[in-house]
Amino acid sequence: MPERNTPQKTLDSWKQIAGYLDRSERTVRRWEASEGLPVHRREHEKQDTVFAYKHEIDAWSRLRIKCPAEATFDENDAPAPNTQANNSYLTEHDAITRKVHCYIAGARAGDGELMRPAFHPSATISGYCQGVEYTGSVEHVFQWINQNGPAPDISPRFARIEIIESIAVVHLEVQHWSGKLAGAQARASDVFTLLKCDGEWRITHKLFHWHDR
Amino acid sequence: MTKTEYLTEYDEIAKTMQMYIDASKQGKSELMRPAFHPDASFFGYAGGQLATGTKFLFDWIDKNGPAPKIEPRIVSVDILDSIAVVRLEVASWSGQLAGSGVRMSDLFTLLKTPSGWKIIQKAFHWHA
Repeated sequence: MPERNTPQKTLDSWKQIAGYLDRSERTVRRWEASEGLPVHRREHEKQDTVFAYKHEIDAWSRLRIKCPAEATFDENDAPAPNTQANNSYLTEHDAITRKVHCYIAGARAGDGELMRPAFHPSATISGYCQGVEYTGSVEHVFQWINQNGPAPDISPRFARIEIIESIAVVHLEVQHWSGKLAGAQARASDVFTLLKCDGEWRITHKLFHWHDR
Repeated sequence: MTKTEYLTEYDEIAKTMQMYIDASKQGKSELMRPAFHPDASFFGYAGGQLATGTKFLFDWIDKNGPAPKIEPRIVSVDILDSIAVVRLEVASWSGQLAGSGVRMSDLFTLLKTPSGWKIIQKAFHWHA
């Protein structure tokens, strides 16, 4: 578990986060919105009081990729440090989590196009939302995300990643969902099934359970 | 979920999986069709070819015919309220299409519907 009470392991402002990543504040704010940079907000305080855990920032840096749909980088933004996985398990594991991070980035930004590259073109979704079954094309997810708008506080956690050669299942728990459709402080459990297709992992199915409060 | 509720859900899921297993053994897709959601999907590579769609699966089961010696094992069952994930390992697949002694790993995702737990996706890896 993160050592939440250890001050030196946190970054307590946009300025400190920007300094830690050696980028401008503008850039790290955009990374939060579009790429899932894990920035937290203090509750009961004004909107822009933020903090970040160094270990989360480090983990994000290692996994960060440019989603193909994401083309708004400053020219002086070199790619963040990327640790080369020298182990075949890690290579597959990291390739899978990168796809799920595309989903997270899209969810955080309220932009379905950011997550589209993570999905197989014929991917489907299923699950219940407020008692109604939603089963159909993944396009429904993209539309829902666009209509929901930004959900900057979502806190995703990987509960399970299981890889069997060419297929994989990822259980993602997402707390603190917010937005026009999600409401506030909602929790979703997602189960993604992935297929390695022409050397690339793609989400083929998103199964979800929306926890009613 | 109380313990009793958990067992009830687990057993219902196991029953759905048993329909898949029985149909595979007998080579009769009609036995497994009720286990699948009408909009279920199916994904995986079979002999280097991407196979998709439950129609492919049902046709394959019928054409493969009886596979009485398959050895299925439920590796994991994870239930999250209205959704579930089951990993199934099947050893000693045989039949017209399967050949003999083949191993298949399956990931099933299930949705709890008013008519019971239904398979909404089967992803498989065929161990060549």
